[in-house]
Amino acid sequence: MRKYPLLIIGGGLSGLAAGIRFARFGQKVIILEKHSKLGGLNSYYHRKGKLLETGLHAVTNFAPPEDKHAPLNRLLRQLKIPRRNLILQEQYTSEILFPDRASLCFSNDFALLKKQVQKYFPDSAEHFSKMVTKLDQYDPFIPRPKISARQFVSSFLPDSLLVEMLFCPLMFYGSSEENDMDLSQFVILFRAIYQEGFFRPAGTIGDLLDLLLQQYKNFGGEIKLATGVTEILTENNRVSGVRTASGEIIHCSNLISTAGFPETKKFFAAADAASKFSNSFEDTISGRLSFVESIYFLDKEACQHLPKDRTIIFYNLSDTFSYRRPDEAVDLSSGVICFPDNFQEKVKEDSIQLRITHLANYDAWNNFYNDSDKTLYPAMKTLWVERSKKVVAKIIGNYSENIVYEDSFTPVTIERYTSRTQGAVYGSPEKIKDGKTNFENLFIAGTDQGYLGIVGSMLSGVTMVNQHILNKI
Amino acid sequence: MILKEKDLMTIDEIKNVILEIIRDIDDEADFTNLDPSEALRDQLDLDSMDFLDIVMELRKRYQIQIPEADYPQLATLDSCVNYLLPRLEAA
Repeated sequence: MRKYPLLIIGGGLSGLAAGIRFARFGQKVIILEKHSKLGGLNSYYHRKGKLLETGLHAVTNFAPPEDKHAPLNRLLRQLKIPRRNLILQEQYTSEILFPDRASLCFSNDFALLKKQVQKYFPDSAEHFSKMVTKLDQYDPFIPRPKISARQFVSSFLPDSLLVEMLFCPLMFYGSSEENDMDLSQFVILFRAIYQEGFFRPAGTIGDLLDLLLQQYKNFGGEIKLATGVTEILTENNRVSGVRTASGEIIHCSNLISTAGFPETKKFFAAADAASKFSNSFEDTISGRLSFVESIYFLDKEACQHLPKDRTIIFYNLSDTFSYRRPDEAVDLSSGVICFPDNFQEKVKEDSIQLRITHLANYDAWNNFYNDSDKTLYPAMKTLWVERSKKVVAKIIGNYSENIVYEDSFTPVTIERYTSRTQGAVYGSPEKIKDGKTNFENLFIAGTDQGYLGIVGSMLSGVTMVNQHILNKI
Repeated sequence: MILKEKDLMTIDEIKNVILEIIRDIDDEADFTNLDPSEALRDQLDLDSMDFLDIVMELRKRYQIQIPEADYPQLATLDSCVNYLLPRLEAA
């Protein structure tokens, strides 16, 4: 009988990192990934000879090599990937833009954001400094009851416009909760985005995944693609293995699920095992936030008129920035405009890319998709993409005529390829901070453990292996 | 030549093994002013995650099991030697 000391559900970044960490010390480990490609929420696909990335706009948590305790450098040491083997390209400047009201720029130098606050919100500058001091002292990884980040930030900053502007990028880049977030999540995101900043590894997400897979295999890790788990098998307080879609049973001493918390609950076939795992109903713990995204390849002419020094623009047009599942299929009143070519030292290609992301309503897209009229879903996609172009053109200028290729995905696409219920990219609002479950050898890693972003999800995989498994074997 | 049944590693050999493992974790670690009686973590700017690597690497190389309760005994270079001396056989 095959029995692995560790089995990992999910070949996304957290699963790969957990696998590398465990395999590194000569331990047998297997990763099962449902999709035919690695990456999970940060993956890629090919269309018309082009590689299109999903997820990855920019990686957060940039840190210089000498800052040994920075999450990025700790992660690389843990994975035994020398930093010098990677080419990391830093962002130029990103912008929080509430047109006709205010704009704040930030970069990988936190001083810029401080200066911008001082310049445009002089009455709030001192309050902002006090808040930053408080945030610096906060340990977001200690399990504790939820604290409203909105209340916390508002208690320091009297200007509600500034509060909303600061929340805008943080929510778009990681909040699983509507219109608010837990203070711990806020602290993690504030550091990752404003105090550390954005970068990209040279190449595509495909190159990064290849590097991680190579490292995993070099250490002897095993992986099966296109192998979905259909059931987690249990014995009393322990899990004993999994059943795959093809009916194969694989036994394990420890199980890490990166599928998501509500998604993991669905793997328990017996009702008593499922309720033992969690008493909450799946729909109350499922995230409600999802997105539509359009990826454009533009001709070089577009460089003449599009912003050259902006990496990401987070915009909001409405009176109050609202981050929630919209009533309509898409909320065009806010969005993320990403220029993946606007990173330092990035080699210019024949075409430049542009990626536009908006909040979207999963139910609406699911209804379009399941309609008996099969032309409805593609027609709705086209309709909303055209509307998006008009809105975004008012912010960065018209780019319609420069498009050489475009493709879009919706919450339904995300759900299909990542198995995230309702396409909830940031997972459940209920985070399992210590990764433990009611089954003593089953652990949760990835987005639903509460670490955020690409560096965060990988650190989550590493940390779960360190804290719960490596030290016990 | 007659081989002794179980050669134990010398103090210097153990020190070198520990430093080699740390070098492997962080190839920019600076040992020039290392005080063997002071905590390795503070002097070398290591964190708890790196520290676990020392334990796991010892296990991988020498099949030596170090229970979690004993981790504090590996805090300094000297305490590492004291702890490992009776446990490590020469290769």
